[in-house]
Amino acid sequence: MYGGSEFDGGAAAFMGGGFMPSQATQPHDSFASSSASKNRDSKVLLPLTVKQMSELANTDESNFTVDGVVVNTVVVVGRVCRKEDKLNEFTFLVDDGTGVIGCCKWIQEPLDNEEIGGISIGTYVRVHGHLRSLQGRRFINVFSIRPVTDFNEVASHLIECIYVHFYNTKMKGAPLTNSIPPSSNNFSRGLQSAPLNQPAAAFQGGDGINDLGCKILDLLKQPQYLSIEEGVHQETIALQLNLPMHIIREGIDTLIDNGFMYSSIDEFHFKSAVNA
Amino acid sequence: MDTSNPAILVNGNLLPTHVRKRVRTVIQVMNSDRGSVIGKSTDDQQLVIKGSPPSTPLTRFVEVIGIADSDKSIQAEIWTNFGDNFDASSFNQLCQLANGEYQHLFL
Repeated sequence: MYGGSEFDGGAAAFMGGGFMPSQATQPHDSFASSSASKNRDSKVLLPLTVKQMSELANTDESNFTVDGVVVNTVVVVGRVCRKEDKLNEFTFLVDDGTGVIGCCKWIQEPLDNEEIGGISIGTYVRVHGHLRSLQGRRFINVFSIRPVTDFNEVASHLIECIYVHFYNTKMKGAPLTNSIPPSSNNFSRGLQSAPLNQPAAAFQGGDGINDLGCKILDLLKQPQYLSIEEGVHQETIALQLNLPMHIIREGIDTLIDNGFMYSSIDEFHFKSAVNA
Repeated sequence: MDTSNPAILVNGNLLPTHVRKRVRTVIQVMNSDRGSVIGKSTDDQQLVIKGSPPSTPLTRFVEVIGIADSDKSIQAEIWTNFGDNFDASSFNQLCQLANGEYQHLFL
């Protein structure tokens, strides 16, 4: 019943996608924003330029943020311009055109040796790792390095850096601005005063709920209607919202279709599923 | 970490604004002889790439990094074969974005 709402609407493309940093920027994270750094969804893979990494704010040696997103794992694509191969450690410098960053990969298994075997000066590589800072010097603790074979990847990575930056700074901020449909704002504000045992994440604003739907649910959420066990009659809803019955029925049908509301004792009485 | 010597992403139109600076671009090789390569930029302008290409044969697309020494030429320091299948259009738009609204991510 609740599942349908997660796949509707324009924001659905970024919900539960798995690759986009939007996992850290879904609207429901606003409820968990106080613990975002501990939230599993905030540990995303971020494509960054070396220039961006040089300008990150950090609170300590391993906690960085960029564009409001906690930086955990980063990916860089660039040209190896220096390397040093020691017994247990492979250190190298990657130049992505915006700057040069030091990288360090620990060699612990034969597979690690195979991984670095094909890397030489001038090789373009894709590097995944954790951004770290030591005595003011930032570097990447690498857990994956592989040569680039299709050089469209170089341009693609930089375009992705731009897109993710754009997403985190502009699109992510949309739920907090007036530019989004008012229903989403009303809905999320409404949810904040809902009983805490209700999973708020299932009812993200903008998916399967419109302005009228929000008004109906807000009405049902009020204590005097919430306490009515048999539900609220549709005429009461129409009277309180001062809207014609056919409009109210449309709103009710939409809410029922999307699992936000259900009929109780008969087809004219309704209760909100959000506050059930 | 060092961001003091970036290579600015350019195409034919952007090269004149970065003369005497370190630039990088991808060209389609049209003609090559000793000492220089004539190439077509991703926005269809003819550029002269000076310097010695690597001994290995050049692929259709080549990235060059070097100093822009005029509106239409680059003194190349680094040459990298970018293969025969490269999306010049995407790279061209990347150059525009990297020098425009999102320049702060690059320089």
